[in-house]
Amino acid sequence: MAETTPKKLKQTPLKSQQSPKTPFPQTPSQQTLTPVTERRRSSRFISPPTTLKTSKTSKTTLEKTNLKKNLDSSFSAFSPLSPDRTDTKKRKHASSVKAKTAKVPKAKKRVYYKKVSYDGGEFAIGDDVYVKRREDEANSDNEDPEVEECRICFKVGRNVMVECDECLGGFHLKCLKPPLRAVPDGEWICGYCEGRKAGKEVALPNGKKWRRTAKEKLLSSDLWAVRIESLWKEIDGSFWFRGRWYIIPEETAAGRQPHNLKRELYRTNDIADNEMETVLRHCYVMTPNEYAKAVNEGDDVFLCEYEYDVKYHSFKRIAEIDNNEEDDGEAEHDEDWSCNEDSESESDDDIEYEKEDKLKLVQGSTPAHAVAANSRMGRTFGLQKIGVKKIPEHVRSHKQTELEKAKATLLLATLPKSLPCRTKEMEEITAFIKGAICDDQCLGRCLYIHGVPGTGKTMSVLSVMRTLRSEVDAGITKPYSFVEINGLKLATPENIYRVIYEALTGHRVSWKKALNLLNDRFSNGIKSSKHDDRPCILLIDELDLLVTRSQSVLYNILDWPTKPDSKLIVIGIANTMDLPEKLLPRISSRMGIQRLCFAPYNYMQLQEIIGCRLKGIDAFEKQAIEFASRKVAAVSGDARRALEICRRAAELMDYRVKNSTSLPKTGKALVGMSEVEAAIQEMFQAPHIQVMRSCSKLGKVFLAAMVHELYKTGMSETTFEKLAQTVSCLCTSNGITFPGWDTLLRIGCKLGESRIVLCESGASHRLQKLQLNFPSDDVSFALKDSKDLPWLTKYM
Amino acid sequence: MSLKKAVAAEEAVVLLRTRICNPNFIFSLFNDSSDSNYSKLKFIVSSSVTEACNNSILLLGPRGCGKIAVLDLVLEDLLKEYPEMISVIKLNGLLHCDDNCAIKEIARQLCIEHELMFSKMASFDDNSQFMIDMLRECGLAHKTVIFVLDEFDLFAQGKQRLLYSLLDAMQSVSSQAVVIGVSCRLDADQLLEKRVRSRFSHRKLLFLPPQKEDLQRLAKYILLLPTDSSLPPDYVLEFNSRISNILADKRLIEVIDKLSDSDSTFSNFLRFLFSAVSYIDLKTGLMTLDNFKSALSTIHRQPKLDCLKDCSILELYIMVCMKRLEVKEQESYNFNSVMKEYKTIHDSFQTSDNYSRSVCLRAFEHLLERQLIEFADRGHNQSIEFRSVKLLIAPSELHQGLKSNRSCPAILQKLMES
Repeated sequence: MAETTPKKLKQTPLKSQQSPKTPFPQTPSQQTLTPVTERRRSSRFISPPTTLKTSKTSKTTLEKTNLKKNLDSSFSAFSPLSPDRTDTKKRKHASSVKAKTAKVPKAKKRVYYKKVSYDGGEFAIGDDVYVKRREDEANSDNEDPEVEECRICFKVGRNVMVECDECLGGFHLKCLKPPLRAVPDGEWICGYCEGRKAGKEVALPNGKKWRRTAKEKLLSSDLWAVRIESLWKEIDGSFWFRGRWYIIPEETAAGRQPHNLKRELYRTNDIADNEMETVLRHCYVMTPNEYAKAVNEGDDVFLCEYEYDVKYHSFKRIAEIDNNEEDDGEAEHDEDWSCNEDSESESDDDIEYEKEDKLKLVQGSTPAHAVAANSRMGRTFGLQKIGVKKIPEHVRSHKQTELEKAKATLLLATLPKSLPCRTKEMEEITAFIKGAICDDQCLGRCLYIHGVPGTGKTMSVLSVMRTLRSEVDAGITKPYSFVEINGLKLATPENIYRVIYEALTGHRVSWKKALNLLNDRFSNGIKSSKHDDRPCILLIDELDLLVTRSQSVLYNILDWPTKPDSKLIVIGIANTMDLPEKLLPRISSRMGIQRLCFAPYNYMQLQEIIGCRLKGIDAFEKQAIEFASRKVAAVSGDARRALEICRRAAELMDYRVKNSTSLPKTGKALVGMSEVEAAIQEMFQAPHIQVMRSCSKLGKVFLAAMVHELYKTGMSETTFEKLAQTVSCLCTSNGITFPGWDTLLRIGCKLGESRIVLCESGASHRLQKLQLNFPSDDVSFALKDSKDLPWLTKYM
Repeated sequence: MSLKKAVAAEEAVVLLRTRICNPNFIFSLFNDSSDSNYSKLKFIVSSSVTEACNNSILLLGPRGCGKIAVLDLVLEDLLKEYPEMISVIKLNGLLHCDDNCAIKEIARQLCIEHELMFSKMASFDDNSQFMIDMLRECGLAHKTVIFVLDEFDLFAQGKQRLLYSLLDAMQSVSSQAVVIGVSCRLDADQLLEKRVRSRFSHRKLLFLPPQKEDLQRLAKYILLLPTDSSLPPDYVLEFNSRISNILADKRLIEVIDKLSDSDSTFSNFLRFLFSAVSYIDLKTGLMTLDNFKSALSTIHRQPKLDCLKDCSILELYIMVCMKRLEVKEQESYNFNSVMKEYKTIHDSFQTSDNYSRSVCLRAFEHLLERQLIEFADRGHNQSIEFRSVKLLIAPSELHQGLKSNRSCPAILQKLMES
């Protein structure tokens, strides 16, 4: 039901693209006549009034922003469709954060309000307001009539007026010819419009030039409407608000449709921060129900039924929260966007968002109106309040030592400037993707990438995608859509359909429906929107997690690329080399053709990777790096491991430097072999020997008896009864009192808890089976020179 | 005078008990040296806070060695040091080993921490997305999220989805989180799947049971009353001198040795001290060596032997019969064969204790309830008489039990020895 209208919208031809038409006509006659069709305001999305804010950011932020952008590409599952949109948003975000960090003096902080009195008006969260579009807005039309004039007599007066449903002009009942007694029911169209419809030239009464109301300016794109989402005062005393834009139908990708009402607006999912300066005054945007019952006389009443997704150009009905909570099934189609009618709309004057108050308010609000932060259908709100009130000392001015720099650059999270040692594989991936998308036909293909963890599989693919995306931005390569999925992050394997569909279209549907829709798109070739003919690259990390009993998920996904016009490219990543062979033949034949192996790094490569990260930082001895990389290469060839070892070594060194007063703090402290050795010890060695050494006395006897029993019988498994006898033998022959069976059992269970001994539960008492979890040599080594029990060695 | 003393004694006992039950008090004794786990852990966590990096740490060690206590101490200090920059999420493997419920719990705690509304209805996807968003948002706001996973080994069951998504989220620059796993299994990190282990940063801290000198130090630290308290000074003086005498006493050292021979962990020692303090005679208000000795005996209970002490004669008969059957190398036996043995004993020795079959069956059932004997098989369709059973008590233990049982007939002891 909710979906029908938007679908119709999408199929209509787009008028809006061609012409940036002349600025708005000033004469009243034309103004009422022209049906506005252009997409005049679209420039807003690229340069919103937030320039005020962005201009404050320094050059350094821009650098940071770029970094953010890059990262963003790797995280946001779906990038190239409209890169500049996400970018502006991201930039805004980054800059706002920066603005926070840059200029906040220590004691002051942002103060959030529920309601603000500003410039004579009161604005609360959840209110709808007009926003000036330009700085010079005030000059062009100096007056801002709040009350509409009659079209005929140009007076305001107190008499009843009727509004034409066509041109939205107001008419005094008595001015009409013939005059009306009362406001008529149903539609009413003024004589001028009727005449125009009939094809006649109709001259409007020419009086003085009539002034445009804010409503008209809005509907002709000279003003914007916005819903306030939050209000705050910056440190410098200026008031800001975060607003969600409304747009008029002309600004949507589909343009104005015949069924659009004159006063209809769309709410977008586009949010921006603005200064309160820009706010003109209130307007009222209502749902159809409210609109029907509305008593506001004014001119500033609008209707909003749908939400418009600026990224995917799709429409969704704004569902009522109440409905949504009652009916979960429907909620899958109707996204809940009325999140602002929640607790925050009830307001007292200037409540500070101090902790206690806020908590009270949140709890006190009725459950029907409260919207949880964690269930916003994948979108989270209200997180902007998390920010620290005070920028920590260490972030602002902290001169990093070499060691700290080294630690920071060795972090796994830090993205290296270049990726050494994987050029060949990356070239192969690039060639594969380019070959797939540059083809005119774009045949679907499959690539299976395998390799042990920490060999840079995902990172290589993502870095290839980044370079490709910059090529797309530069216009060298055709645009494509990119979806990244991690098998382990899906609740069930079937959920993958839903995630793919959401990434491609922005709609949330159940997985079964998503499967049908995806089938339509990929195998039957039914494209429902204009972006669908782009090639789609699907990256599935941890592919082995998608294996179900019937293996239908994998089959479906790998079957799509074989269809003639699917334009789907699947890249699967997993650890096991022989995953295709383990699967059903019909799947392995689809997947196993093109494979790429990421071999474990050898020590030279690891050394290069570490060296590349540590370039310019003098913190490590050369042999230390080589030692670490050789050690890791011998065990697993996992680059993450190698980096972690080096970081741990640096940490140990740092710890030593900071704790000791004898070492000069300014002097250079190079990480040497001993630190790396210690880090390797910590990482690779199980701590059981130390624990055995520090066992209680009887625990040691217990272990010795285990070993003795093992040597005597040659069986690794023994029962508690036999063991207890051995222990009592050992005790009596060496002058220790036998502790009693129950104590002994308790000791055994303790050892079993830390898995030095594998044992059954203690309830089976003398029949309890016991087994050493570590080689007996380890036990003898650990107990060899214990001071209090020198006789133990005899028995081992 | 005596009343005053009694009040003072009561106050002192309360003080000592609060000290023993307060892990912060106990473990602050061991914090000063740079080798202590406290300072190592604090360094790692605080450097992750200040340098905005991600870390994952495992705290390993047998139960009762103060892993959680030290961690709490560290977190408390850090919360004081960096207010509003740390949020702690605590999970327990026993409660949240299911990924779904763990991630829900994380979302709930994050919501409470940041005063957001929480919905129980949210799905796994929603919650994990929320968690990742929150991690990013906290990272941007220079806030560190610390995840404490108690009973870490239990999180490593199944597909380890939670650990994977946590550790994978920590691979991004914007997040700033520390995962602290606490486990008593020494091989906890070996339980991780390869791809999870590769993302784990493998800081390991080992918690060991204290040495004997440490226990001595700890006893002194706990038991000596503070001189600057509201207690009457002469009482404190007397109490403290008595305690120092006792602590230097060889016999007490023997007692403590005996205690730590079987279990030398902090928790066991504290339990011992607690019961010793509870044995203080409030009239004198002073500790004696006997207090410690009786505390030792309460700690070292022998449940099976105590059980044998209260057994009825018929129950003892049944157990002796079972033992005799085992000596005859009859591996599998049930109630009927035990009854046959009982009959032969009765016939050959003409004992006075002849009971009917139904009474014997009741006694047999009692033994089953007390887990002195156990069914050997899992079959449930048979009636009790025919199911094979096993004796859960060793012959030597049984012998000892018979000796301690006052009503045990002499004939049974003789049978046992034969």
